[in-house]
Amino acid sequence: MWSSARTVAEGDTIIVWLTRDQLQPLVVTPGKDLNTKFGNFKHADLVGVPYGSKVASRGASGRGFIHVLRPTPELWTLALPHRTQILYLADIAFITAALNVRRGSRVVEAGTGSASFSHSIARTIGRAGRLFSFEFHEARFLKAREEFRRHGLLNGMVRLQHRNVCKDGFGVSGVDAVFLDLPAPWEAVGYAKEAMRKDRIARICCFSPCIEQVLRTVSALNDAGFTEITMHETLLRPIEVFQTPKLPSVGEAAAELKRAEVRREEKRQRQIAANRRAVEEAREGKEAKEREGKREEGGKRKVVDDEEGEGEEEPEHKRARVDVPSTPGVASTASSTRPRTTTSAPQKINVAKALAEVRGHTSYLTFASLVPVPAGYAGRTEAGSSSNGGSGGGDTPVVKVENAT
Amino acid sequence: MSTFKTSKSEQKSRDPGIQSGDLVLVRLPKGDIRSVKVEKNTTVVIPKFGAFFANELVGQPYGLTYEIQDKKLTYAPPKTLEEIEDTDATNELINDGEFVQPLTVDEIQALKRSGVHASDIIKMQIEQHANYSLKTEYSKDKYKKRKEAKYSKVFATIEPTLYNVCEYWFAKDQLRLRDLRIDSLSQMLNLANVRPGGRYLAVDDASGILVAGILERLGGEGKLITICATDSPPAYPCLMQMNFPSSVTDVLISLNWATAEEDYTPILPPSDIPTEQVKSDRQKHRLNKRKAVTDLLNNTREELFAGEFDGLLIASEYDPYSIIERLSPYLGGSASMVVHSPFSQIIVELQAKLRVLPQFLCPTVSESWLRRYQVLPGRTHPMMAMSGTGGFLCHATKMYVRTLTN
Repeated sequence: MWSSARTVAEGDTIIVWLTRDQLQPLVVTPGKDLNTKFGNFKHADLVGVPYGSKVASRGASGRGFIHVLRPTPELWTLALPHRTQILYLADIAFITAALNVRRGSRVVEAGTGSASFSHSIARTIGRAGRLFSFEFHEARFLKAREEFRRHGLLNGMVRLQHRNVCKDGFGVSGVDAVFLDLPAPWEAVGYAKEAMRKDRIARICCFSPCIEQVLRTVSALNDAGFTEITMHETLLRPIEVFQTPKLPSVGEAAAELKRAEVRREEKRQRQIAANRRAVEEAREGKEAKEREGKREEGGKRKVVDDEEGEGEEEPEHKRARVDVPSTPGVASTASSTRPRTTTSAPQKINVAKALAEVRGHTSYLTFASLVPVPAGYAGRTEAGSSSNGGSGGGDTPVVKVENAT
Repeated sequence: MSTFKTSKSEQKSRDPGIQSGDLVLVRLPKGDIRSVKVEKNTTVVIPKFGAFFANELVGQPYGLTYEIQDKKLTYAPPKTLEEIEDTDATNELINDGEFVQPLTVDEIQALKRSGVHASDIIKMQIEQHANYSLKTEYSKDKYKKRKEAKYSKVFATIEPTLYNVCEYWFAKDQLRLRDLRIDSLSQMLNLANVRPGGRYLAVDDASGILVAGILERLGGEGKLITICATDSPPAYPCLMQMNFPSSVTDVLISLNWATAEEDYTPILPPSDIPTEQVKSDRQKHRLNKRKAVTDLLNNTREELFAGEFDGLLIASEYDPYSIIERLSPYLGGSASMVVHSPFSQIIVELQAKLRVLPQFLCPTVSESWLRRYQVLPGRTHPMMAMSGTGGFLCHATKMYVRTLTN
């Protein structure tokens, strides 16, 4: 599919990684320019660059750079042009495993949509496999065809058709796995059965966002003779990692509170002393005033007694809090409850939590198997009953299984 | 029994059905899964369940359901789901501890010994059950299913796909898989871009389930070098369950942490002894064998040190950073690295170390979540019990450190 060479060549599809949320697919076309918020680049300059390189932008303003990555289906999922709602890693990976898609598998998918799933499946089945992809929307079909052609998928690996499979079926047979991402998958279940191989287990997955769709799908699968019907939901929880100063102990807080109490008491004592002095001075002053006959002092420097000193507590308290930095390791000399580290840098720890907003639901994944039926059984499964075949068809030996038609 | 005939093209395909010597997973009526060895001309014993002649299974495709009768297997068509009619019945008049079943355990045992079929025993139990008619239809269905599971001698063979083998091992011994559940495992294989023809490095202390996944995806095309902590190549017990043909496992070769060091010279017994000193054919044979081992080791080391691998996958009990330090130099530019651990702390500390290094682009941490639903008609709901964890992943892309300027 995409280039597996070490370096970028003209005409390669590459992924330009700008930021975690900004990935841009690019067909390297010398003569063209790439303008990003991290600077300007000439496509020609990317030719010959090893995949996995950081490339600096051109010119004097060029302090920005881009990362040049080799496309993978997982990067493609993040970078592709959306034509529809797309499938993401968690669902794609789980479906691939549950449908037993591997090298050489023959797989049907409908519809193609934005081809996020298609690229992943094509990668997994490889050249020995075959993906039959069906899209009923003409414009989306044409865009997908162009994309597959550019990615070198149309030479044997992927067969894309513009076709409404709910009306016209798949027109293929003997496939190992079917994936239906359709608004009404139950309409295609019968055709899917026709397309699937009958000599070995074949598997189907229907991808539906609503539970009502699941119920209709389950009953259609059941009626068509599919078994092992299961339904799953899978999600990927992205987790962010942060660095934070080591959390302080409450012992620290207690020590600080104690220091504040001591300071408050000291201040109170100072105020008492000051008041006494003031009273003394006042008395002396009065005598002096009486002597000098000057204006009276008092309004502002009010005489306070012990208890009223509390009124000034608040600013004092605030000052105390500022004095002691909350950063551990730079605590004030008064601190004695915590052993002090000799390093000047505050100790950091790594913490992690899930992202605040995450994908909470994509779709329900309904799986079922089509199990081979021995020829003597005429392809009909018995409706579940308490006598599970033992008495009914107990004499029938295990016989040759019908070949795929 | 007539054997299942396979066409020539099928024999070449990778799913030839059950073959002599295979380890076959079977699902018993209660839903538990067992692994049995199917060896031609022997008797297969499923402990506490039943026994049958192995030849009955050899050549059969996977997925079929059988009933055991006198060590012979008869095909039992798989069951489909049944709609259940809603009735007005409730459990209003049903109380715990009431005597409802006059049929005693001894009587049931006697019936079983006399060869009465399970379905007939259940019918008798239902007929004699005092409160059966009071039950809701849902409850009746549950009762019947429970009884069937108890007496039935029906089992199904399970195809050894990566999904099924991982599920079996995860249920059997989650710790030995290091919590590597199938959703996490499949995410690893996708994130590392494992594809036919690719070249990968892996460290698997998860019983080989990761190696099984990579080999399955390579399908015999490409290369996998694993590094292990043991002297000889590791056992990877999960691989046995996959019944891979040698064409699939041949792409796997192992080194250990000593031989994977570039400046270490492995201490090997001499294999280049002048021909005049070789005394016997036996000695010559031994020397040839020794030489083959030496050459293989040297070639594998050369291949590792030449680098340019497409991906590195790690599910190890060792410090993942110490592994990445040693093996990431052998990755090509833009290659993927995926690390799994059952513990969030390990992955978080790893991410914190990697993100300050320019050779690793955007180390990303995630946890996978998987819920299964019961989808019986009219009774669809999430299963009451679910797997609590499938572990944590850290994924990053290998970059060249030097920034290219024009």
